[in-house]
Amino acid sequence: MKPLAPLLLSLLFLTSQTVLSFKREEFRNCHQTPFCKRSRARSPGACTLTPHSISISNGDLTATLLSKNDDQIRPLILSLSVYQDGILRLKIDEDYDHPDPAAPKRRFQVPDVIVPEFESKKLWLPRLSTETVGGESSPSTVVYLSDGYDAVLRHDPFEIYIRDKKSGNQKLISLNSHQLFDFEQLRVKQEKQDSDYTEDSGSDDNWEERFRSHTDKRPYGPQSISFDVSFYNAEFVSGIPEHATSLALKPTRGLGVEKDSEPYRLFNLDVFEYLNESPFGLYGSIPLMISHGKEGRSAGFFWLNAAEMQIDVLGDGWDAESGIELVKQKSIDTFWMSEAGIVDAFFFVGPGPKDVVKQYTSVTGRPSMPQLFSIAYHQCRWNYRDEEDVANVDAKFDEHDIPYDVLWLDIEHTDGKRYFTWDPVLFPNPEEMQKKLAAKGRHMVTIVDPHIKRDDSFSLHKEATEKGYYVKDSSEKDFDGWCWPGSSSYLDMVNPEIRSWWGDKFSYENYVGSTPSLYIWNDMNEPSVFNGPEVTMPRDALHHGGIEHRELHNAYGYYFHMATSNGLLKRGGGNDRPFVLSRAFFPGSQRYGSVWTGDNTADWDHLRVSVPMILTLGLTGISFSGADVGGFFGNPEPELLVRWYQLGAFYPFFRAHAHQDTKRREPWLFGEKNTRLIREAIRVRYMLLPYYYTLFREANTTGLPVMRPLWMEFPSDETTFSNDEAFMVGSSLLVQGIYTERAKHASVYLPGKELWYDIRTGATYKGGKTHKLVASEESVPAFQRAGTIIPRKDRLRRSSTQMVNDPYTLVIALNSSQAAEGELYIDDGKSYEFLQGAFIHRRFVFANGKLTSINLAPSSTSKSQFSSKCIIERIILLGYSPGPKNALIEPANQEVQVELGPLMLEGGRGSSVVTIRKPAVQVSDDWTIKIL
Amino acid sequence: MEVNVLFLLFSLLITIFSLISSTKSSSISILGVTPQDENYYQTETIKCRNGSKKFNRAQLNDDFCDCPDGTDEPGTSACPHGKFYCVNVGHLPVSLHSSKVNDGICDCCDGSDEYDGEVKCPNACWEAGKVTRHKLKKKIDIYKEGVTIRKREVERAKQAIAKDKEELLKLKNNEKSLKGLVKKLKAHKEQIEKVEEKERLVKEKEEMMKMAVDGKSDDEQKESSSSTTLDSESNGPSDEPSVDQKDEYENTEGMPTDGSESTEGLLREELGRHVASRWTGEKTEHQVEEVSPNKYNHGDNNEIPESTGDKDHENSDDANHVRKDYEDSTTRLSDIQERIASLTEKLKQDFGMEKEFYFFYDQCFETKQDKYVYKVCPYKDASQEEGYRKTRLGQWEKFENSYGSMLFSNGDGCWNGPGRSLKVKLRCGLKTELTDVNEPSRCEYVALMSTPIHCLEGKLEELERKLESMRSEQLQGGHDEL
Repeated sequence: MKPLAPLLLSLLFLTSQTVLSFKREEFRNCHQTPFCKRSRARSPGACTLTPHSISISNGDLTATLLSKNDDQIRPLILSLSVYQDGILRLKIDEDYDHPDPAAPKRRFQVPDVIVPEFESKKLWLPRLSTETVGGESSPSTVVYLSDGYDAVLRHDPFEIYIRDKKSGNQKLISLNSHQLFDFEQLRVKQEKQDSDYTEDSGSDDNWEERFRSHTDKRPYGPQSISFDVSFYNAEFVSGIPEHATSLALKPTRGLGVEKDSEPYRLFNLDVFEYLNESPFGLYGSIPLMISHGKEGRSAGFFWLNAAEMQIDVLGDGWDAESGIELVKQKSIDTFWMSEAGIVDAFFFVGPGPKDVVKQYTSVTGRPSMPQLFSIAYHQCRWNYRDEEDVANVDAKFDEHDIPYDVLWLDIEHTDGKRYFTWDPVLFPNPEEMQKKLAAKGRHMVTIVDPHIKRDDSFSLHKEATEKGYYVKDSSEKDFDGWCWPGSSSYLDMVNPEIRSWWGDKFSYENYVGSTPSLYIWNDMNEPSVFNGPEVTMPRDALHHGGIEHRELHNAYGYYFHMATSNGLLKRGGGNDRPFVLSRAFFPGSQRYGSVWTGDNTADWDHLRVSVPMILTLGLTGISFSGADVGGFFGNPEPELLVRWYQLGAFYPFFRAHAHQDTKRREPWLFGEKNTRLIREAIRVRYMLLPYYYTLFREANTTGLPVMRPLWMEFPSDETTFSNDEAFMVGSSLLVQGIYTERAKHASVYLPGKELWYDIRTGATYKGGKTHKLVASEESVPAFQRAGTIIPRKDRLRRSSTQMVNDPYTLVIALNSSQAAEGELYIDDGKSYEFLQGAFIHRRFVFANGKLTSINLAPSSTSKSQFSSKCIIERIILLGYSPGPKNALIEPANQEVQVELGPLMLEGGRGSSVVTIRKPAVQVSDDWTIKIL
Repeated sequence: MEVNVLFLLFSLLITIFSLISSTKSSSISILGVTPQDENYYQTETIKCRNGSKKFNRAQLNDDFCDCPDGTDEPGTSACPHGKFYCVNVGHLPVSLHSSKVNDGICDCCDGSDEYDGEVKCPNACWEAGKVTRHKLKKKIDIYKEGVTIRKREVERAKQAIAKDKEELLKLKNNEKSLKGLVKKLKAHKEQIEKVEEKERLVKEKEEMMKMAVDGKSDDEQKESSSSTTLDSESNGPSDEPSVDQKDEYENTEGMPTDGSESTEGLLREELGRHVASRWTGEKTEHQVEEVSPNKYNHGDNNEIPESTGDKDHENSDDANHVRKDYEDSTTRLSDIQERIASLTEKLKQDFGMEKEFYFFYDQCFETKQDKYVYKVCPYKDASQEEGYRKTRLGQWEKFENSYGSMLFSNGDGCWNGPGRSLKVKLRCGLKTELTDVNEPSRCEYVALMSTPIHCLEGKLEELERKLESMRSEQLQGGHDEL
């Protein structure tokens, strides 16, 4: 595609949308954000810091950073630590021991994000070596990082980089190679210092900062940090969600980029009708960037910092005017700016994209293991009106034989937007309602937001006020903002005591009307404050321990999510996996539940952008994510709705949702044909639940996302680098969305050298080629990779709960050597017994005409056991020439029939495929089946 | 004769065989198959209904799906499209989606859908059947009475329509004669007026001549008066400052439509409400509308008065008399025409196949739900009222669903969407009353209305048949109806 076309398209889209909805002027751009404006104006080579007194302390390399000029308030302390698996950590903070002028307070270090286990992976540095790297005038200090990698601290000019010994000491990733590093130090406001605001003040020496009608007092003056990071031999960079934009991040500065182009902003905001193709900050922030290049090399950089961040991806020629010597090695340079906090940065060496994700999730934690029901289909709407409405919708699903697992209640279910309460007229018998759903194996989710109605008769508010649990405004009074209930206050979730208190509110006694089948949805936790600056909390609001809101803003929603999730954990006696959906997120959110991409719109562009958005979340640790199927705002045409279901059925988190002003759009409301198409789309997800659950377990143990970019599975296939309209589900399935109205054709690139099998017809397609397919209205294109085995459950039920004892189908897609393999993970689907070994984990291997089931679970002597009565009812062999009539099962020594059968019982098309009929082997046993 | 004996023997054998097989098939019925379909499964090789495949009897209900359409697995959950038939003796038989077979949930009241031993389903058909039959009987009773009332209404409507038509005819005749009268009076009046005009002109001339004697002063007066007129004309626009003021008012206070609203300078609470309103669409200032009494009135004076009224007016001269007569007659004529128009309009309406909805025309129905009063006036409009605030839910559009529901559309506009609409679903009931108004989608309202007009004879027969079949099932089950 020509690069101009999408730009033009997005411009068109921007102009047409801006008029209607998005309120750009209510949000700050970089130019209106003093730290961003000033940082961006810095020239390469400006940094004057050099490390002194380099030594080893507590197993870390430490040094003092001093300016060559006399312009420093106090010294900075640098430390470098090395962790297992090729992780380098860099910290830079103020020297709090410096007496005059002493720092007025400690800068905020984000607690409770790095998992405790990570510290135990620290490698104590034994020694430092100093060398002068080829031709340079200044010496460098070198430490061992991991097999094949060194971390290097160059002294002058100050630079930190990792070099790859195997590739002749080439740089892999570096910081401050362009000397853009800057660290504004805390100051104490002098009595007479003027607070006058002057527009366009380049120095940012002002204390107060104004935006629209809001004033930020900035009691410590400007305190931003900025630096450049370079990724070498990279073709593109990706990550830093959340933005509604492409997977490979486009440059924001450089040749060919518009002058007023904005950096990627990381600032959690509740954006009304957000735009497609925009670097604008949305609901969540993860400052992790992953680079990828030829030969499949990846590296990662993560900055643990919860203040507003702005990140420039610097395109070719960005530093053309600087006159600084060009870096010899090809690289993608990026520029990171944050309003506050410290430098606490992690470098990941890869070498593959999967390794980077594993390394990152070893720092911030692996995704939690969800309950089985929560990875099935969710039905949501703002709002299901009352108990009768709930009963009717529930009954209609049964009537139309469409499975679903969870029914959701949005804000209108409460008594006047007081969370943990029920509207007495609309929901007089909430327990009975949940029990009725539970009798069909279904669950319910209610919404609980962080804004608490300021109503003295509301006990939660009364208690929080008395205990002093609210965030304070800059004058230390309880912050009072406007949200759904009207005047509201916000709980200070960074305080562990308040989180624990909050968690107790989810007990069955405290949450009156809740039952064990009820789970929770956290919305508006950016936090959304309707009358605050940029629809959020003022930056000078104060948290526990004097933390300014500006320092932790991006983590506020994370702590709220954490508190809710831990509350549910407590409610279930520690043995019921919580399900909490959150809109705001931060590194580590993957440990507490799922997220979704917020208030999207019912148009084709938002359907399209949902894929790179979810892929980016997966790359940055948040595997369990999805977009609202159908689009939140507006009314989708039936065709769009059907296409959205067909694609959304493959999202890790699969939920339909709609704004209250939209027309009803439950699956059966668009005529018989559309009902059938939506039913089939949802049923495909239910069939694939065993495969998805196995992938969620893989994510839980390794951090690898369920939904992956093609280049994660085919890292050295360059054609995949720019592809973000197709994706992999695990390593075995490839899905291509259809993003246009009345599409006649769909172009699908199938990577690799092996064949691909259409999951409905079994038709084969060659790898390494772009195929132009006829678009079918029945489904979006989806393919099984040759050499894989996918477990399915073909019997369809009301909900996943009734599928527990149903038999399995194995679909074996043979590769060119007539071999394939795959895995299946099963546990009880809800408890933590699996941590004690109560699970079944099998590997299926097909080779030499024989299928073998191998145990992967540790043959532990543990007390916990999980058993399953499930059998395998059908084994399908794709790519096996028809002919055999029988197969022999060992050790039972029993013959079963081989015949031709359909690949899919429903929605399947195409010719019959070789099928082993009723082998009836136990899924938990060791066995082999030989084709005779 | 040997042949004959053989033939007899042979036919005897066949008879015996068929007897055996028929008893066999009725006693061991195939799980999940309807009685009508049992014959389909008698052969050794059976075809899938969609013709895709064949299967043998051993594959019937063997818990493996051979026919994707479910033909071979009527009694298991193996096929996605299957239907499971439960006999439900004592109650009504039901066909379930096969996804509900052995799923741990009792769906058939006889428990036949759960036979794998995972769950025990007690047979609840008798109790459930009794309740259902009881309800059904009650419903039939209502229908019976309703059908009678409906017949009466249809009869009344017929008469009323005949009366309306008669009145219309009469009115049209009156109109015709009155038109003649008006025409006559008009001519007379014009004649008189012509005479009067002539007299006036003569008088004027006389006065002019008298004035001419006094000379110029009059001219001056004339000039100045005309200049005043001119002035006031040229000053026109500035004489209407209210228009400008209004524009200004709209610019600052009205809801802008171009989206370039300014939120700067709002009070903090106003700002909160304002931002919230983007999601909710609620207006910060409610648009209030006074409820005005129904303007429609019947026009009781639809009869032409015999006389034109009081004649002994003291100073009545001929001219005034004629003028008054003329005015009275035109008023009467327009009254009649108005009545004709309203009657014609009424008779144009779709009152149903038997004109059964005729009496809905002049009626409104109300119901109070929470704080709202809903008012439905068939053939006219529907509204939701809260105190003095009135929201139009829609104007009459038509009947839908073969006179099963009434549709009102194009009501007051909705934020971010089209106008409001209301669908009134009709139910059989002894009184005509509005119940249960709901808003399942934003601004799409649904109400229920019970009325004897919807008690249809055909439906009554259907219900009676259903009850009859339940009774016979129950008799088969060996229970006595109490």
